[in-house]
Amino acid sequence: MIAKIRALLAVSLIPIALAACSSTTTMEELSIPAPQTEKIPLAVALRIPEEFNDFVHEENILGKQSWTIHLGGTNATFFEQLFGYMFTSLTVIGPDDDARDVQFDALVEPSIDGFEFSVPTQSKTEAFAVWIRYRLRIFDREGNNASNWTVSAYGKSRKQGMGGSKALQRAALLAMRDAAALIIMQMDKATKISALANGGLAPSASVPAQVAVDSESGLESSQGTDFAEDDFGIFVIGGIEDESE
Amino acid sequence: MSQNSFIGRDSGIAVLGLLVILSSGCVTSRVEDARENVTGLNDGESVVVMAKSYHQGNETESGYITCIEDALGRGSKGLRVIPRQQFVDSLFPWFEPRTAPAETKGLTKLMERPGVADIVKDMGVRYIVWLDGDTETVAQGGSLSCAAGPGGGGCFGFAWWQKDADYEASVWDLDGYENAGTVTADVSGTSFLPALVVPIPLIARTQAAACKGLAQQLRAFIIQ
Repeated sequence: MIAKIRALLAVSLIPIALAACSSTTTMEELSIPAPQTEKIPLAVALRIPEEFNDFVHEENILGKQSWTIHLGGTNATFFEQLFGYMFTSLTVIGPDDDARDVQFDALVEPSIDGFEFSVPTQSKTEAFAVWIRYRLRIFDREGNNASNWTVSAYGKSRKQGMGGSKALQRAALLAMRDAAALIIMQMDKATKISALANGGLAPSASVPAQVAVDSESGLESSQGTDFAEDDFGIFVIGGIEDESE
Repeated sequence: MSQNSFIGRDSGIAVLGLLVILSSGCVTSRVEDARENVTGLNDGESVVVMAKSYHQGNETESGYITCIEDALGRGSKGLRVIPRQQFVDSLFPWFEPRTAPAETKGLTKLMERPGVADIVKDMGVRYIVWLDGDTETVAQGGSLSCAAGPGGGGCFGFAWWQKDADYEASVWDLDGYENAGTVTADVSGTSFLPALVVPIPLIARTQAAACKGLAQQLRAFIIQ
């Protein structure tokens, strides 16, 4: 009898022990402010991949706590809002929809190349940091690959109070805003997407452009592609260096 | 009401006041300003308090920025303070941590961008105050142990810790796109926690002192 009670007690304590060693954060609704920029006159079709509807990332810190962040459908909302602000016309299509059924100048397929975060116990600071690396594949109306662009964004938030859930959530939100700022200001320059307006086609003989706009990425490409030779930095921290001006 | 009850109430207030004084640790502070240009604030003009970009170092605590915002806006001579999130959202993406200008020389180009100058004018923002710095525990020591049993519990020992709050506020004048100057607060506070059965915390409110000192000096700096 005593052995049974002991066993029951031990079993009931396991979830408590596990809960104490893991933390879960769920992203709240994301809202990107309307940018103070002019819209690009382009009809864009945005293909939302399956992973954008329920993105979950887990970070196990060896011998310590495990952290899980549920982005849910935040990425889908993010790109829908962002491209809605950026282009004169936007049509959102699902992962299985046939793009030929839609009228567009350019088709954009975003994906997540990498997602990482660090917690205070790892960085030995009081801050949570999130790195997101998005890849944007751009196709012309005939399906030719026009550009392949990676955007690395970074968000950091100080730990406040006892729990870190809110700080991690804020760091992820700041990383997405960082990505939005980069995409708004550099997408046309890096991908020449506006050249696809009114039937413009991707240069047929060209090798897909591999352009990364990044200055503080903590991520490695998960697809094994070496971008080093093609990368160029447009951004400098603390303002924009716009060569065209 | 009898005289005795007055004495009782007065002595209660005195004891409470003594407890408040005794329950705070030691704080030393130094607040200075360095002026580069003449300042002043006209009717309808406002101030926005921003954190220096986290891309350039540690982010200032949001609680501290809120404290400065509140302190600047408080009182009959309070300044008109625009909430920083409202300012940043209204001018998205130009004041994001990555894109915000690091120097005043970037302001001219930024204001030439479509809509930016109009939004700043509509909000009446005359000064942007960039806050940099944070509060850190720089030293700690002592030992404290607590125990509890069926007959009761208690603590015994002594612990202490020292916090340094170093903040710098750079004031940008949007009237001439120039740096008006800086105000710095350097506050150090030591807290003590002696315990003889019951722990008695003597907490130094380092960050609060840095907030109060910097906000007072900042307000005087802007108004002149």
